[in-house]
Amino acid sequence: MRLSRRGLLRAGLAGTAATALGGLASGCAVPTGSTGRNMALWYWSGGLSDTVVKNAKARYDGSVDLQAIQIGGQYRSKLITTITGRAHIPDIAGLKGEDMAAYLPNADQFVDLRTLGAEKYRSRYLSWKWDQGIADDGTMVGFPIDCGPVAHYYQYEIFRRAGLPYEPDEVSQELNTWEKFFDAGVRLGKRVPEAKLLTDVNSVFENVVQQGAKRYVDQDRHFIGDQEHVRRAWALAVEAKRRGIVSDLVSGTPDQQSAIQDGKLPSQLNASWASFDIKNGVPKTKGRWRVAQMPVRPANNGGSFLSITKACREPEQAFEIITWILNAANQAQGYVDAGLFPSTPASYALKQMREPDPFFGGQVTTDVFGPAAQKIVVAYNSPFDVALGQPLKDEIKNVGVLGKDPRKAWSDAMSKCRRIAKHLGVSY
Amino acid sequence: MAVLEQTPPAVAQPATARPRTGLRKYWHLYAAISPFYLIFLGFGLFPVGFSLYLSFHRWDGLGSMEWAGLSQYQYLLSDSDFWNSIGNTIIIWALATFPMIFLAMITAVMLNSAVRFKSLYRVAYFLPNVTSVVAIAIVFGSIFSTNAGMVNAVLQAVGIDQVAWLNTPWGIKVTIAALMTWQWTGYNAIIFLAGLQTIPGDLYEAARMDGAGPVQTFFRITLPLLRPTLLFVLVVSTVTGLQSFSEPQVLLQTSSNDSTFAGGPGHSGQTMVLYFFQQTFDNNDFGYGAAVAWGIFLVVVLFSIINWRLVQRRGD
Amino acid sequence: MASIKGSRRRGIALHLPLVIGTLVSAFPFYWAVIMSTHSSSEIFSYPPKLLPGTHFLENVRNLFDAVDFFGSMWNSLLVAVSVTFLVLLFDSLAAFVFAKFDFPGKGMLFGLLMVIFMVPAQLSVIPQFVLMAKIGWIGSMTALIVPAAANAFGIFWMRQYMKTAIHDELLDASRLDGANFLRQYWHVALPVVRPGLAFLGIFTFMGQWNDFAWPLIALTNPGNVTLQVALSQLNGTHGTTDYGIVMTGALLALVPLLIVFAVGAKQIIGDLAKGAVRG
Repeated sequence: MRLSRRGLLRAGLAGTAATALGGLASGCAVPTGSTGRNMALWYWSGGLSDTVVKNAKARYDGSVDLQAIQIGGQYRSKLITTITGRAHIPDIAGLKGEDMAAYLPNADQFVDLRTLGAEKYRSRYLSWKWDQGIADDGTMVGFPIDCGPVAHYYQYEIFRRAGLPYEPDEVSQELNTWEKFFDAGVRLGKRVPEAKLLTDVNSVFENVVQQGAKRYVDQDRHFIGDQEHVRRAWALAVEAKRRGIVSDLVSGTPDQQSAIQDGKLPSQLNASWASFDIKNGVPKTKGRWRVAQMPVRPANNGGSFLSITKACREPEQAFEIITWILNAANQAQGYVDAGLFPSTPASYALKQMREPDPFFGGQVTTDVFGPAAQKIVVAYNSPFDVALGQPLKDEIKNVGVLGKDPRKAWSDAMSKCRRIAKHLGVSY
Repeated sequence: MAVLEQTPPAVAQPATARPRTGLRKYWHLYAAISPFYLIFLGFGLFPVGFSLYLSFHRWDGLGSMEWAGLSQYQYLLSDSDFWNSIGNTIIIWALATFPMIFLAMITAVMLNSAVRFKSLYRVAYFLPNVTSVVAIAIVFGSIFSTNAGMVNAVLQAVGIDQVAWLNTPWGIKVTIAALMTWQWTGYNAIIFLAGLQTIPGDLYEAARMDGAGPVQTFFRITLPLLRPTLLFVLVVSTVTGLQSFSEPQVLLQTSSNDSTFAGGPGHSGQTMVLYFFQQTFDNNDFGYGAAVAWGIFLVVVLFSIINWRLVQRRGD
Repeated sequence: MASIKGSRRRGIALHLPLVIGTLVSAFPFYWAVIMSTHSSSEIFSYPPKLLPGTHFLENVRNLFDAVDFFGSMWNSLLVAVSVTFLVLLFDSLAAFVFAKFDFPGKGMLFGLLMVIFMVPAQLSVIPQFVLMAKIGWIGSMTALIVPAAANAFGIFWMRQYMKTAIHDELLDASRLDGANFLRQYWHVALPVVRPGLAFLGIFTFMGQWNDFAWPLIALTNPGNVTLQVALSQLNGTHGTTDYGIVMTGALLALVPLLIVFAVGAKQIIGDLAKGAVRG
């Protein structure tokens, strides 16, 4: 085939003209989220149950045309871009739990859900979760979707072989302190060659921090990452490394997956939604797993919200849709479809959540996650937590992976935090 | 940038031509180059100006902006993480670029003389450049994984210990550089080949008549005449290589709790642009992010000028 | 004249490294094929799988369920073809001027072009979105096509290529024949630089095809996106990415590129051969 210049030119012109026309045509289309019957809902893959979204569409079909849109890639940067650009802002926007601290100081971009009568739903939701969606000035920005209670996943047979407690109740009761948890790790390593209790030191450090009510920056914009609650988490992580109960693998890699499959990594501290990762990632381990309470008290990891933006023309309608999507029955469906652990305690007694799970040897996992979800303590999340927690997480990772001296790592983390705090206007 | 223009204009305007005003005499030339500049005026200038403005402010992306004066730039100079990312970027760039240019040139010279299967080779060598970096980074993550990876399987087969490629500072850099070398060698080989093809055959004929060997021919004829191409390859590799980010981002992205912009243990794979993303999107520090972007710009310009001079000056 | 034996030995010495290079180039693709024909769990099992599995069709089915593959592919084609055509036209025109003519401000303008080339692309996402929203292009393919219609990379490439490829005598001769600027461009320059154009065309097409960051922001209507944006929705939140499906998507997205490349490569080769004869 040989393209002549003239032919190429003709083909190209035709294509460009077609595009220009197509562009014009779509340019005339009604933009999402601002006019008429259209109501745009933004979320991410796995952020809501697809079944529930589909049902909501059908249910409200008479009054609105609900356009549920899954956004790929960097969700938050896309949402911030549209809000800043004041164009094509969705009416209803999902907000990820880890991003809430960034949205809350800008509560004026969202409709205060209290003005729509949110208060009367309060009693049906976990109180700590409800409070997380409220800004400092009292504006309610986010309506609770799910929560991420952390539990102890372990492989039954391996624990039995290592002479450790192996029934869920026993594990919950006997491994209820970090000290006992680490002892179990040492025994596991002796009885089962090459086996490690946890993937990395970060899972100790971050879970210990997330068990508490404090993070890295407090409400008065003061750095608290050098205080006792962080030092304790740090010391425990270093202890885990010293006693040799963590692997040198990286979580999420093929190496980690194969170690899990071979029983060399028979245990992890992870949120409820991680059960879906395990089921998808290492399906061959079906039936081997159980869940128990993690040491000391449950931590929370993840869990998101729905919000109504100021761009929404019909907030009452939007609010009605939100409260329906997130009622107890639909949250139970969300757990079945997407592993979203309900923030509505009434869901825990529903049939869908009482099914024995063959992947966990017939265990009803709600019996573990449900009580855990209710025991989580309210923590203050500062918009500066990410920036000032990162040096600590980086340095503890250096201790775990690169074998850096813990004392040096701590002082490096602190000097970095001091610098960043000064830059961000956080008092140190 | 007067150094850019060293070749004399080929079509010299006759000196005796009646002087006319520049615009009227050259209008067709300005018109021919105008689309690029018009597009930049329309779509590039405002964003560039905006980010400059932003770099003198504090901004979380949603709220109001606060004047910050020069403080973002002052912090940039003292920010050890930024300097670390510059170091990482340059090391990865060097680890990738020099082997790549060397291999690409050899491949091009061989392709230029091999007559059979030329088209087949060309397709094969260009293939790595065709697919998206994201997909390829996932594949490399699998190939370079410690226990289950092919590279370590091969190393063990020849009696060398496993290397934790994605878990050690140098392993990370080498893996990223390997990915880049793999992806861009064939592409640059094709570029060199295109350059080789513009060298008139009779020059080689003449060199052979003078009794020059293949090596001599390469250094006396091929290399000097390939200089515009080499310059192009080096400058483009510098500009794109110093702005790399998706390779480390996808390779070192692990669990959801980890920042995808951290660049692995010890930030060993954190390039400048990854650092920009971390500041902007993890920390919501848009003002500082803009300052970082301008820092990146300066580093790229500086490096490009150095490379340009190196290639240009080695002339005869 | 070398003996037949000698030329065969020379052939082996030449082809052996080329074949090795081909294998190294192709291996990760083979690996991608392996990943796309297995389920996610098989991919992570040890020892690594070396032969294709049986899950390809299942992965394809899941892929087509999850994304509007052909609809978004059509958009990608539209964008890539339009941009490629415009880039070839605008870049080669500008490059011809920079390579072969002299005019006031040339050095400064080319310097400016190179400086613009070095501005990090990530700098401008938010302001560019604001701008496009004001014109009303957000959500349409125009927002992707127009800003990409001319670029510094292509002008730089064609300028370097034209410097050696277009012989000054040819231009002088055509000028003596009374050819104006456009005629010189069309009848003298373009025929000679066709391999360079083919390369630029392929590269531009690929770049547009695989572009992701800006389309993700600019295309707000999920029913009207490019292929890479559609594929990005396959990445789950909590690390629940199904690598089998992602790889299948990446491989299928490759097919149009391979077709374009096959056509373009022929174009380069045909002309290169002619160039070699012409000397």
